[in-house]
Amino acid sequence: MKIEIKDYCIRCGICVGLYPELYAHNFEEDKIDILADPETPEQIERAKASAADCAVTAIFLNQG
Amino acid sequence: MRLSADIVIMGSGAAGVSAADAALAKGKKVVIFEKRPFQGGVANCAIQFIIVRNEKEYQDKAFQLLYEYSNYNGNPAVIRQYVNNSWRTKEFIERMGVKMKAADLVPLEDLGAPERADGFPPALNVHGDDWMALGRGKGHGGALICLNGRRDIEKRGGIYLLDTPLTDIRMDEEGKVCAAVGVNNQTGEEVVVDCKAVIICAGGMMDDPDMIKKHTGFNYTGKNAPNGGNVTFNCFPNSKQTGDGHKLAWKLGGAVGAVSIEGHDLIPGPGIEMSTAWLTYNQFKIMTEQPYLWVNANGERFLDESLSNNHMAINRSIRNQPGRVSYMIFDDDTRRHLEEEGVDYFYFVFPADKLTDIKGQFDDLINNWKNEHVFMEDTLEAICEKAGIDESGLKKTLDRYNGFCDSGVDEEFAKDAKYLRPVRKGPFYAMRVFCGGYNTMGGIRVNGNMQVITDAQKPIEGLFAAGDNVLNEIYGNPIIGGLGAAYFAMPLGFAAGDSASDYIDTMS
Repeated sequence: MKIEIKDYCIRCGICVGLYPELYAHNFEEDKIDILADPETPEQIERAKASAADCAVTAIFLNQG
Repeated sequence: MRLSADIVIMGSGAAGVSAADAALAKGKKVVIFEKRPFQGGVANCAIQFIIVRNEKEYQDKAFQLLYEYSNYNGNPAVIRQYVNNSWRTKEFIERMGVKMKAADLVPLEDLGAPERADGFPPALNVHGDDWMALGRGKGHGGALICLNGRRDIEKRGGIYLLDTPLTDIRMDEEGKVCAAVGVNNQTGEEVVVDCKAVIICAGGMMDDPDMIKKHTGFNYTGKNAPNGGNVTFNCFPNSKQTGDGHKLAWKLGGAVGAVSIEGHDLIPGPGIEMSTAWLTYNQFKIMTEQPYLWVNANGERFLDESLSNNHMAINRSIRNQPGRVSYMIFDDDTRRHLEEEGVDYFYFVFPADKLTDIKGQFDDLINNWKNEHVFMEDTLEAICEKAGIDESGLKKTLDRYNGFCDSGVDEEFAKDAKYLRPVRKGPFYAMRVFCGGYNTMGGIRVNGNMQVITDAQKPIEGLFAAGDNVLNEIYGNPIIGGLGAAYFAMPLGFAAGDSASDYIDTMS
């Protein structure tokens, strides 16, 4: 499963604060980096939760 | 690239999106320059909205409350614009599909009532109804307002130039605004927009330490506030609030107004708030709300601590202390009180009746987060040594203060007896607290039509401003105080959009 962050992400860092194993601030390039795509059921649940917590629905999970 | 528009707006936050909405409603063509690759900036953090009802009695009372709050130093015409356009904020937010939840609907006779103010100055928090804009997930309502606002404005023909800072405003031979210039961060391409008016909605200057020093006297040394720092901000990660709008307004002859730090006392350093405001890792922001002992670096009390949850009062008091630094101190008996009996002040932003595992929270912040501004020690001597508090001064203070606690009478500052808790039993807990806030306010002077004015208070033709960068017109130029709030910025944005449109109509 792959995580996708849409370009209208506001870089607020809620995902970074709550799911630091999945996301990190990249201040140099002014974006949020995806650290790892989820593989295990636990990771997939965390990734789904991060999408649900996103302030602007910018996080999506895609098969593949 | 060359475009043309009636009105160019600098910044797509709360004031910018409101100005665009108003100008589009008046049939104007609008282009918005936004230096970040996304819309909204610090307005993405907004959650609370005080709304003045669209009824004359409510508007008049709100006007009187705010004008008095400014010590009659505010600009009454701008305060009037705020109160008369406040209702449009709620109408706009709901039109954008963002739900509003009433937190406190205040009857006319209760406007300004201290008991409804949650510790804030009543004029700021109770001059209208209290609404919360509901966000998505763990996000804030402001994020949806800015995103949905952008989509709506683009649908109505407005153009967002993202990742494109506005770098220059051109004037014609008659001294009127005639163009705005920006540069796309990705391509380096220059963008020139021929226009008749520019509205500066560029926010504050909290990310520029030199401007902070020059205009407020504070030392901003970074979020971890190493030695020498005495102010911190907690608004939005990498917010890039660098006073760009101020610089342009001043370059074109705009008067330099007073700049304030928004009043919100904060423990600096990592491990308390997440990268965006309103989300915390622990309960330290609830601890600093409580009415316990505050001292300065000399170990002296400096206010009636019943005011601990009045952010304006505590911030103004901290600013007056040596080095503009303060410390909150409590002992293990108060730690037990907070865990077993509960908080004395309930903080509506971070609601909790009781605190949990305070020792563990201090341990985590000190040892895991390496925060250098909180202290947990077995003795007061060790607290003083680590925190930099004068030991003999603190001991003298505690001799008196603990006596007040025993007698139940604060003979110094008349603190309510129920909040008198002695500091005797180790371990002891201390937090270094700075002045701080979400942003700076003010710096650009405007008249009642939201036109940028010169020192002689003459308007610069075609140049308008709204939002945080003009908010001191409302608060009356305090050193600290007021709120860098979207609910103050948006009505001024609507007013600026209206005025700029009317200005263009008058020209033609």
